Amino acid sequence: MGAPGLSAFVAFAVGVTTILSLLLGDNPALFGDQPGSGELARRLAAPGDVLLQLAVIVVAISLIIGIANLLYVHVGRLARGRFYSAVVLASFAFTIFWYVTRRGDTSLLEAVQVPIESALAALLFLSLALGGARVLQKRADLWGLLFVAVTLIALLGSLPLAELAPLKAWNDWLMAVPVSAGARAILLGIALGAVVTGLRALLGQDRSYRG
Amino acid sequence: MSEDFNWLDYAEPEESAPEPPRRRRRFAPRLPRLPQLRRPARPRLPRLPSLPALRRRSALPPAQRSATDLISDQAERPLDELDERLQLLRERSVDSAQGAATPQPALYDVDEVLATPEVARKPGGIISAVALSKAQERQVELLKDIVGGAQADEGGDRRVKPSRALFSLGAAPRILASVMLFLVAALPFASSDFSQGDLPPADFPAERSGPAAVYNALDTLSRGEYALVALEYGPTAAGELDAFAELVLRQLFARGAKPLIVSSNPIAIARAQNIIRRLAPAEASAAGGLRAGLDYHILRYLPGGSLGLRELSENFGAVARVSHKGALTGLELDSLDDLAAIALIAERADDLRNWAEQVATELRQTRLLAFTGYSAAPLAQVYADSADAIAGVIIGYRDAFTYGEKLQREFSTVNPAPTQPTVIPTATATTPVYDEPTATVAPSMTVPALVTDLPPPTPEPPLADTTPISDLPPATVDPGLRATDPSAESGQAQAERPLASATPLPSATATLATMRIVEVISPREVRIRRGPTTVDDILRLARAGDRFEALGANADASWYKIALGDGLEGWIAEFLVEAKTVTVAEFVASQAEASARLPDENYHLRWDFIVSLGKNRPRIYQAPAPPASDSAAFVLNRDRSAEIPRLAAMTLGTIAAALVIALGNVFYAFGALRSRRRVSNDG
Repeated sequence: MGAPGLSAFVAFAVGVTTILSLLLGDNPALFGDQPGSGELARRLAAPGDVLLQLAVIVVAISLIIGIANLLYVHVGRLARGRFYSAVVLASFAFTIFWYVTRRGDTSLLEAVQVPIESALAALLFLSLALGGARVLQKRADLWGLLFVAVTLIALLGSLPLAELAPLKAWNDWLMAVPVSAGARAILLGIALGAVVTGLRALLGQDRSYRG
Repeated sequence: MSEDFNWLDYAEPEESAPEPPRRRRRFAPRLPRLPQLRRPARPRLPRLPSLPALRRRSALPPAQRSATDLISDQAERPLDELDERLQLLRERSVDSAQGAATPQPALYDVDEVLATPEVARKPGGIISAVALSKAQERQVELLKDIVGGAQADEGGDRRVKPSRALFSLGAAPRILASVMLFLVAALPFASSDFSQGDLPPADFPAERSGPAAVYNALDTLSRGEYALVALEYGPTAAGELDAFAELVLRQLFARGAKPLIVSSNPIAIARAQNIIRRLAPAEASAAGGLRAGLDYHILRYLPGGSLGLRELSENFGAVARVSHKGALTGLELDSLDDLAAIALIAERADDLRNWAEQVATELRQTRLLAFTGYSAAPLAQVYADSADAIAGVIIGYRDAFTYGEKLQREFSTVNPAPTQPTVIPTATATTPVYDEPTATVAPSMTVPALVTDLPPPTPEPPLADTTPISDLPPATVDPGLRATDPSAESGQAQAERPLASATPLPSATATLATMRIVEVISPREVRIRRGPTTVDDILRLARAGDRFEALGANADASWYKIALGDGLEGWIAEFLVEAKTVTVAEFVASQAEASARLPDENYHLRWDFIVSLGKNRPRIYQAPAPPASDSAAFVLNRDRSAEIPRLAAMTLGTIAAALVIALGNVFYAFGALRSRRRVSNDG
């Protein structure tokens, strides 16, 4: 059996074992009131637990490898004179130094990281508002008009103003019917996509695990 | 066309090649080049064959030679041997490349069948460059419908580009709109005169059963129960969701429950300690603040997104056993159903979906309580409506405000706040507003009737286990050790146990009395077990200097029976400790000093414990924390000074955004109509 066949077999075996373990394990009711059904259910759950923990460990290690790779890449860029790589590496070293010397003090996180990311998130408000103002510049047709109208109803309907009570009723209807239907459709699509992707991986049609 | 035309030397005429656009120089300051790092040695490639070897290959029969060799040996065919069609095609391409003056027909050999339509051209912008008649426009539309998604950018884009003279104002409108949005959102923080809109209701409306169910689920927790708090958000959503995290934790601490904080977001794990510090001032707890490992636990990071959540639901006992610093938590929890509640504070819809799919489906008794922002609200509402394991969902900052007011009001009835509710008469409302001492209500602000509409407060039973000290049994000091049967449980032992245990209470009689203790002398961490054998479950770890009250010993005095506090007893090997007789006052002082050390700093995960996790799965039990003296302080000490300006900023910002969107689109719609009208008039 060649390497591709071996990797497909390993993926198939691990996937089927995990599925069966998750479906049958820790569920004694599946085996009725027979003596030892609880022990059997626990034994069936064990392989899935082990594989799951192995996967989590691999993911955690990949995170560490990712950090090491990031440092390696920026060290290489620093050698080519890139200024921003110097900033990245200096920030990394300073944060580590701060955390170690201040005995686990994470105030740097609250004083730098949170304000910066919050400010970036606040910029999204401006970007969306300005983008929404140019909808009809990009698409001056019925669908553009409909988009603008729904956006205005959603915005104004969410305002706590008594004068806009009719719009609030429209907004509630939008959230309860079309938006909810769309969310359910998205969830159904995600579920079907996950099933198909899982089956393709298990059956060897999608061999992304080969790297 | 000459016969000696060289294909290899042919090049496009230079005048026809447009100059590439000059790239705008990006601001990227450069440091002086550093010496090149030494790169790791690369594996050596096999040596290429030498030239004579290549020549020798040509002597091989064609069956043994590669296709590349055969093609490279092909000599250029004389032009006379080419097919007539190929000769014509070659001549035509060379003529056009050399800039032949004769125009080429648009469609080769089809012009006789389909004549090129006459198109009127006129100078002007992009839209008006080609003026089509009505019939031609209909044909163009028909072609667009036929071509469908293959529309080219320049032909299929329906962008209506306004003329430069009237509509092109550059970046000025965007800058003006941005400045206006920023100012409008910032004004409420500068002055309360800009506050507009109604404040959120003081209680959740009856038609929304979900938020009330969430509140009640957390409010019925009793002292010592564990509740999982999942902080699934990063710094980008901190402004909106930190309010939920603080409120949930305040409510749990006020009820005496113990939150177990967990997250698949590493930054949320790092921030959890800071959130706890923010809401736990020293005066809020009798012990001088909340203590990690006793009053709350921050569990380890869950890597892998949905994979980590699946592990949480399948192996919760293992997850709960280790803190985010790798220390032992001592939690004896087997499954998520051992928890009293699970509060999920999620930023993204994907996080909420993962929890609903990987965790909520495994719950049999415990309910999932969802808190989320406006962006994930539609998906959250779908799950709350359809999944039985999700009790309800609370959405956005306005719900957080209502939640906080409800919490504050109910705890104020039990333990009045230091600052009494302030009644501020306004021009439009004579009803009192929230008990916000610093809040000022603008005349334009419509204030709902809140406090006066509420039913009179009903006194609630006291929250804490308020057993008076005088009701405790008197201290009886046993100066010597007793031989105790290991199998006998602690009924008799507890009756004879001195008062001084893990949390002894000093009194006049107990201070003068002496007691027998054991002090750990082993330099390594030692294990306290449920029985006097090494196969018994591990109850706790201890390190050098830790002291425990000695209750007895086994038959051969190789194990001491010790008190761990709150009625729990354990056994420790004799060679690891030293037995002493100390006064109760001394013991109390040493225990107070030991409790000041955080368990996370005391007990670190060791490799032998990791190995033992896979073998015996030892049980580790952590004694519950002593009750806080003033539980309501966790709720009543909440700083609410910025909440009303934030709500006003949200209202004004939304109004300004709607205004910008409406005005901008009216502007561009007018431009599009004007352009189309001009085109139709020209046609």
